[in-house]
Amino acid sequence: MKGRAIAFASLVLAAAGVQAQQPPAVPNFTGFWELRFDSKSVPVPTLTREAAASSTEIRRHDANAIRWCHMVGLPAIMDNWGPIDIVQNRAEVAIITDLIPSVARHIYFNQPHPDMNIFDPTPNGHSIGRWEGDTLVVDTIGFSDRGIISIPGGGRRTPKSHLTERFRLLQGGNRLSVVSTWEDATTFGKPHTYEFIYVRAPKGTELREAYCPTDDEERAKFLLAPWHR
Amino acid sequence: MRLTVAMASVLLACSGAISDGVGAQQASAPPDISGFWELRYNSRHVTPASVKPEVAAQIKQEQAEARKSVLGAIGYDSIWCLKKEYPFFMGSSPPIDIVQTPEAVVVMSEGSNKRHFYMDGRGHPDPALLQRTTTGHAIGRWEGDTLVVDTVGLRGGENVNGGGRTTETTHLVERFRLLANGEQLQVTFTWDDPAVFLKPHTYDFVYYRDPPGTYAFEGSCDASDPANRQSTVEPKQAGNKK
Repeated sequence: MKGRAIAFASLVLAAAGVQAQQPPAVPNFTGFWELRFDSKSVPVPTLTREAAASSTEIRRHDANAIRWCHMVGLPAIMDNWGPIDIVQNRAEVAIITDLIPSVARHIYFNQPHPDMNIFDPTPNGHSIGRWEGDTLVVDTIGFSDRGIISIPGGGRRTPKSHLTERFRLLQGGNRLSVVSTWEDATTFGKPHTYEFIYVRAPKGTELREAYCPTDDEERAKFLLAPWHR
Repeated sequence: MRLTVAMASVLLACSGAISDGVGAQQASAPPDISGFWELRYNSRHVTPASVKPEVAAQIKQEQAEARKSVLGAIGYDSIWCLKKEYPFFMGSSPPIDIVQTPEAVVVMSEGSNKRHFYMDGRGHPDPALLQRTTTGHAIGRWEGDTLVVDTVGLRGGENVNGGGRTTETTHLVERFRLLANGEQLQVTFTWDDPAVFLKPHTYDFVYYRDPPGTYAFEGSCDASDPANRQSTVEPKQAGNKK
């Protein structure tokens, strides 16, 4: 009797052990998230002299990118006026928006950055993620200088930019904090960090679509007004 | 004996507690179609559509007119980098990336196409309020091992494989199912539109799973680039000198 009880206890403990071996649960960011008027905390960055002198050039570049519906890329894709749609599984976090001129953003969990000697730079770059407790830390390199390049606060994305983002749920999962840190010696005198706090969109929210007609001449005139030149 | 039964009961309860988290979900969980998938030369199983004669005649006339223009049949959209509408990207050569969760499934191309299948049981919006889009409004549900996706709300004007084209009254049902031990993904398309088809038009594509470590490229099209305009112009043909 005693032996069987010990065996029983061992089995229960073994079962509990199996449970303990399950990977710890990670936060789930899946859902639609919106920026609000009070969502952004952006300090003024320390810009290099060259970057400080290029604000007109950046504005002109971005106006041209919008006019021609170039894929916007980072960080503009995270600064969308419509909701961003985050879908997360074990392999990746995908972020999509309603902007036609945008490619889905992929944050991969189980792979390193590719060799940058063979990687074609892109407006979104190449992103990999890892968990630090309840925080998703995302590392992005491989940027091109195409799309919307302006960075909140000032400065621009360049092929030398390195972005680190920290995604964390707040307020019982109803808020999503994303702290972004840009490092780029050609643009910033020191790393530039800012925070956006997204609000979880109500149930039933849907992804709409912002079409981008490059062939619309009236739109082109409007977007390339003289103050961009 | 009673102790043995009691032990078994507790053990079953204990394993049930674990199963509630993982095992039970595995038993009832749908297949996971997440991953990168791409078409191969033998992937497309498309039969000719039964298109209404007047629609077929109209498409034929429009294609003939387009061929007469400098731009050619597909030139205008290509030159202006206008987004091709659904189902174009499902039949193109770059891989598609699928991310599946209980709440949503998204399908992403390497260009600007992305589809979101709502899996939360919602229906389609009231047609009067529906915003028509290039990929439509798609709701999904699992029927056993098959993901069934119902789509309405396309803008219309895109060619359908096998004949015909999408319109604002197009209704598409897609059935996603894993084959070959999860290494292949069959998507069966059924297009229904009384304005275009004499009967529902069904065909299937079979996608092949890409290896681990695959990552997405980003498509790019710059309508302001003069070279882009040249890409749709047929080059001068060299004479065939014998």
